[in-house]
Parts: sequence; structure tokens; C-alpha cells
Amino acid sequence: MEILVCVTRVPDTAENEIELNSAGNDIERDDLVYSVNEWDNYAVEEAIQIRDRVGGSVTVITVGDDESDEILRREMAMGADKGILLSDDAFEKADGQGIAAILKAAAAQGSYDLILTGAQSEGGAGEVGGMLAAMLDLPYASLVVSIEESGDNSVKVGREIEGGTIEMNEISLPCVLSIQTGINEPRYVGIRGIRKVANVDIPVQSISELGITDSDVSSSVKRLDYFVPDMGEGAEMLEGDDEEIIDKLIEMLKAKGGIK
Amino acid sequence: MAQVIADRRDVDFVLHEQFQVGDLSKHEIFAEFNKKVVDMVITEARNLAVKEILPTQKVGDEVGCKYANNEVTTPDEYKRAWDLLAEGEWMALARDPEVGGQGMPETLALAATTYFTGGNMAFMLCIGLTHGAARLIENFGTDEQKAMYLKNMYTGKWTGTMLLTEADAGSDLGALTTTAVKNSDGSYSITGNKIFISSGEHDLTENIIHPVLARIEGAPEGSRGISLFLVPKYFINDDGSLGDRNDVYCTGIEEKMGIHGSPTCSISLGSKGNCKGWLLGKENKGLSQMFLMMNEERLMVGGQSLSCASSSYLYALEFARTRVQSAALGSKDKKPATIINHPDIRRMLLTQKMYVEGMRSLVFYVANCEDRARTTESVEEKEKFANLVDILIPICKGYVSDRAVDMCSLGIQVFGGYGYTSDYPVEQLMRDVRICPIYEGTNGIQAMDLLGRKLGMKKGQLLTDLMDEIKKSVASAKEIETLRDLAEKVAGAAEMMREAAAHLGKTASDGEIQKAFAHACPFMDIVGDVTMAWMLLWRATLAGQKLEKGAKKKDRPFYEGQLKSAEFFVRSVLPVTLGRIASVTDTCGAAVEIDADAFGGK
Repeated sequence: MEILVCVTRVPDTAENEIELNSAGNDIERDDLVYSVNEWDNYAVEEAIQIRDRVGGSVTVITVGDDESDEILRREMAMGADKGILLSDDAFEKADGQGIAAILKAAAAQGSYDLILTGAQSEGGAGEVGGMLAAMLDLPYASLVVSIEESGDNSVKVGREIEGGTIEMNEISLPCVLSIQTGINEPRYVGIRGIRKVANVDIPVQSISELGITDSDVSSSVKRLDYFVPDMGEGAEMLEGDDEEIIDKLIEMLKAKGGIK
Repeated sequence: MAQVIADRRDVDFVLHEQFQVGDLSKHEIFAEFNKKVVDMVITEARNLAVKEILPTQKVGDEVGCKYANNEVTTPDEYKRAWDLLAEGEWMALARDPEVGGQGMPETLALAATTYFTGGNMAFMLCIGLTHGAARLIENFGTDEQKAMYLKNMYTGKWTGTMLLTEADAGSDLGALTTTAVKNSDGSYSITGNKIFISSGEHDLTENIIHPVLARIEGAPEGSRGISLFLVPKYFINDDGSLGDRNDVYCTGIEEKMGIHGSPTCSISLGSKGNCKGWLLGKENKGLSQMFLMMNEERLMVGGQSLSCASSSYLYALEFARTRVQSAALGSKDKKPATIINHPDIRRMLLTQKMYVEGMRSLVFYVANCEDRARTTESVEEKEKFANLVDILIPICKGYVSDRAVDMCSLGIQVFGGYGYTSDYPVEQLMRDVRICPIYEGTNGIQAMDLLGRKLGMKKGQLLTDLMDEIKKSVASAKEIETLRDLAEKVAGAAEMMREAAAHLGKTASDGEIQKAFAHACPFMDIVGDVTMAWMLLWRATLAGQKLEKGAKKKDRPFYEGQLKSAEFFVRSVLPVTLGRIASVTDTCGAAVEIDADAFGGK
């Protein structure tokens, strides 16, 4: 199975203080440590596992600048076979729709049975996967938590829906799936993987090579403001160790008539 | 969440801007390790350390290791962490790939390892010891022994230990009583009891290989009659599979102040009369063979110390940035401020910052000297780098571990009362790091090694080489106007350090050896202070050059921070160093002259 996995480079929220910039229209990005978007790691892991089961290859692709090379290399060190960097000054202003348009152009140049994205990235919009599917006119499933290959050119896909319920679907290939965390346990990159990709050349494709124009990637959404909401009232944080918190909670629930 | 364990920007600065570690890839032995690979190694080591090793730190402390019926169990969480390190091939980064290592430069291996050690020093101790034991086999073993043990140890399938200390043979290993009697099959029957054996018994791997110091029957008394033996927990069959259990058993583990996640074992050899070992290297050369490995072990302790100090600093920094308490002095609105706004908190944080940075540069520098010694073609350069390693090892182990304890203490102080509770990790770091000034040769031994051995070696060439390197950095610093005064002060302190060395040397040779050595530790502090000042001046020079050329906006605070670290050290610590030099030069004899009874307490 030929699998394309769309990945992106984001600030590593585990180790960064995220602050607004002075203009208030973005986060302060200068001093951040970046890594691959967490959801994308699950998507790459799933792709590697499918390839290992049924054969084929995994290609990781991203839209970004020179520094995005590092996340492609990282995902190849995990086990992806190929990487493609889509980079052009024109891409800097792309919004979600623009990113999907760039990815669509790149995907159309290959012949992929399965296209995976992470369910969302740092912005939390979760829009690229769905838009990409629409642009490619392919079936799409979001929040995917299981993928099982069927022999008849389709996959059985589990989706996470409300209330902890899993919805099962059969989707014909090719298709686009956006992957939820928890679908698997992404492997860590070890020295063997790093060695393997140390001197690999990752091809870079520009806007002209993709056959698209500035207008295809221009942003139709303008971000107006970023702000931290004012702290509301009425929330009480319980403090102490687990036992103390449990005792306090039971006491409060009893006092309010929640339990007897 | 803020960064933990180590500031990535600072690690990158030292690796790339101070030591250009990627340039080592120009040499064929490190060809694979270009800058891109270096960055990937650090990123993935950090990732694994933060996500998998760090979560084992508290459980290692609180659950700890348990002893029962000659067996030791480690916390369940350790097994996964161990397997991940083994699967990722993180166990022997700088060793030869032919024997199971990864062939990395020592500098890179140390940088990656300090992330793991910062994640859980007690857990990582087992890997450090395994590495040391395997190095002994690599250096002194027969081809058969190398084939039998090395890959299994470097890949984490088996672990290793060091069985040196006995109840009455600690710093004086020549007094040991463990015996070895040769058998007809070439093996030796070993009998004795060892104590303080890190990871002497555990449930992480299927076999444990103990290098054991023992005296062959009839060998000379003292350190000249000690040999080294390999004693596996399970015998190894010719096909590499495990055979019967050897008569080497754990008889208990120590209840310690810290590193609860590392079992410190008492080991009984031959209590049933069936302990077999095999000679490693030459008869009666055990101690000297063991000491050839000591540089590496002591550098490891420097790395552990750095890791703890760095972790404590980052926790304290994060706390100071978020803890609101009292208005800043002189503030007009009198609104409570985060405590990083208070002068004494800033003093403590800057003290931690500058020492952590200086320690990182120093420890990485020594590893880098080892790499440069391997890659240079020049015989003179090789010797110079070896000299620098030799003179700086007691500083890396002794001075750095002493200051790391101080820095972990400051970390607690920034937290105030919270820091003294187990709700925050800084108190564990303080307990864990406290072993560093003790093991692998106490810091008193390090100071004696510096004063008694290293200064006199090669007619003082080691100190001369160190002074030459300091002078080079001073000359570069003087080219930057704002650093000229600091550079003069560092140069002056270095010169006075040399005079203090000459004075103590003369004192010892004039028959007052006790008096001289009563000042060995203060002298080690002097060399350490000057070395810190040198490293910080070097860093500030690089930062100053970058700022002059117009550094990127995102880099400016980091570089400006380097200037402040150097300024604070040179203006607030070096004057104290000059006082230490005055004290050493005065060479007060009270500590050795005072009558034992005059200490009182009887």
C-alpha cells in the first residue's frame, strides 16, 4: 500500500512557555523549541505498521521552511521510507485551506492508496484533513482510532465519537483519514534510525513545481486577535494529594446534595 | 511548561558554537556525525529522557529498590525505560560499533547522556557502571572474553558492576582481603565480601558481570598484589547461553540518603565455596588497570553532577517565574510580584545559571579534548589534549560535584518551604547529588590527585598547557571592549593560581607535606574557580562576537545572558577566589598541628 502522511512542525508544548507576542496577533515564536505535531506521530506510526503488515511504502510530506527538513528526517528515522518538503516563500501566508491546496497538488503527483493526517495541530482547527479530502474528491474519516485493511480495496476504520463510543465504517481506497492520538504507541527514534537518514537527500518542491499559483495558497482567513480569556469565577481548585482531594470532593458533593 | 533537565539552547551553544562538535565529522572515525545528526541525537535523547526516563525519577525515589532472599527488585517502571534505552541503542554511544557501541564522539555521547541522567540519575547509574566494566574488558580482556561479554554489555542485555570496596578497604584498596586461588582449569576460586556495589543485584537483565578486585594466594601485600577477575552471576556456556548460577550473592542493600532508585549492594563471593572468576588482564596489575578507567568514571560523575544542578536550576527558575509573593522592592503599585523580581532570588538564580553553564562547558570540554586527541594527527596536540584531560578530571569530578551540591541547595532555597517538601523535585535532587562528592574517589582524594600527582606530572607541563589555553581565551576576550576588564581579572587570577600551585609544591617538598595537603581542597577550589571563569569568559566572548555582528532577535537574550554570567562570576566569585589564594599561600598549619585530643568531644 502506498501511504502518504502529512506532517507539520509545531512548538513543543511540553517544554515551552506559550506567550502572546506584543502585537497580540500570534504567539511569541522566537525562542520556542519545535518538534513534530503530536497527532502526526501517531499517523506516521500507523502508516509504518500498515506497511509492515501489507507491504508498500510510507512517504512523509510537509509544508514549511528549511527547518522543517528536521521533522521529515525524524519521521523517516522512525521508519518512513521517503520524505518530501514543500517549501516556497509564497506558502508562508497560507491558511488551512492554502495548506490543503499545496498538499493536494503534491498528492496528485503521486499515486497514493491512503493519505493520513493528524487529527489536528497546534491551532486546533483540525481542518486540513477534511479540506484535502474534499479537494482530492476522496472519501474521508476524521478522529480515526483504528484501521484494519480489508482485502477488497477498502479499509475498516474506527472513529472516536461522543460518549466514548467507537463508530465503525468501511471506506474504499484511496481515501483520506485524520488520525486521533491513542490509535497506537508511536515508537521512539533510536540511533539506528538516525544513522539511516543522516545523509538522505530530501527533495524540495516549490510552488511552480507543484503547478499551483499564489492565488491557490493565499489566505482567506485573517486572524484578528489572540487573547487569554479573563479568569471566570466559581471554579475551585482542590489541593493536596490524591487521597485528600478525593475526601474533599466527597465532602463537597455530600454538602451540595450530589451524593448521600 | 518550561524546559526541564537542560536548557536546549545552552546545550546547542556549547556543542556547536563553543566546540563545533559537527566539525569532528571531517575525520573519518566520526564521519557520520555531522551537525544535522548531532542535532537529531540530542533531540531524540531529550525526547526519550523527558517522556520516559524523567517519570521514573520520583518512583525510583519513593518505591526504590527492594531486597529479599538474595534478590533485588527494581520499580516496575524501570523495565520499560531500560528496554527503550536498549532498543534505541542508547547504552554505549561512544564505543566502537564493532563491539556493540555507536561510535559517537565523546562530546556528543556525554551531551545525550546528561539528558538521561537528568531524567533519573539513580536509574542511569547501572548503565554507567556497565559501561565502565565493559571498558575494562575491552582494554584488558582476551579475545575470548571480549567476544563473550562486550556486545552483551554494551547493548544492555547484561549489566556490569565494580567490586572494589570492602568494609575495611575503601579509599585504601590495598587493604582488601578478598582472595583468589587458581584452579586446574585456569579459573580462580574467589572468596570475600564486598560492599557499596552499585547495581550489584537487580532484575533488569538476565546476567550481571562483576569485575572483582582480589589478591591471588601468595601475591604481595598492599596495592601491588591485587588482581582483577571477571565473576559472572550466571556462568556462560560455550554457545553463549547462560549456565549455572555462580556463588556470588547479594546479602543486603544500603538504606541511603538519596539515589534510592539504585540498589547499593553488599555482595558475598564464595560463601558456599563455589565462586569462580577468571583473571582479567595481568596478575597483580588489577589496581592500575582499574585506575586507567578512572578518568572515564570521574567524568561520568561530573556529568551526573551537572545534570542534577541543571535540573534544579530549571525547576527553581520556573517556580520563581510563577510564584507570586510580596511586591518588588521600590514598586509603586505595591502589587505582589513573581519572586523572580526580588533581588535575592535573582542572585540565587544567576548563581545557579552561571555555575550550570560553566560546568556544562567544562565537562563537555574535557570530553571534547578526548575527541580532539583522537582526531588530530599531531603528536604534540595529542599530548596536549591528554594533559588537559588529566589536569581537569579532578576539577570535573571534585569541584563540579561540590558546586552541584551547592546549586541543588540553592534550588531548594528559591522554593522556600515548598522546596523542603517532597511535593517538588528539588529536594530529591539535593539528596541524589550528594553522592557525587563521595563515590569514584572522594573529593578529598581528587584534591590530593590534583596537588600530589597532576601538578608534578611531566615537570608541570599539565598546568602549563592549561594556562596556555586560558591565555588564548583571555586574548580573544580582550578584543571585545566590554570584556577587556573581565579578561584582565581572569588572567590575573590564573597567574596567582599558578603561584599558589608553586607555593604548595615547595611547601610539600620542604618537608611540610601534611601542611601542604591540608590545603589541597581549597587549592582544587581555586583551580575550579579559575576554570569556571575561563569557561564563562570564553562563552561571553563568543556571545559578544555574535552581538557585535548583529545577532538575531531571538538569540539576543541568550547572548546577553552569557555576558551577565561572566560578569557576575568574575566580579562576585573571583574576588573570593583571590581570598582563597591568599589563604592557601598563608598555608595555616592549624588543621595538622592541632592535637587530636584538642578537637574535644571526649
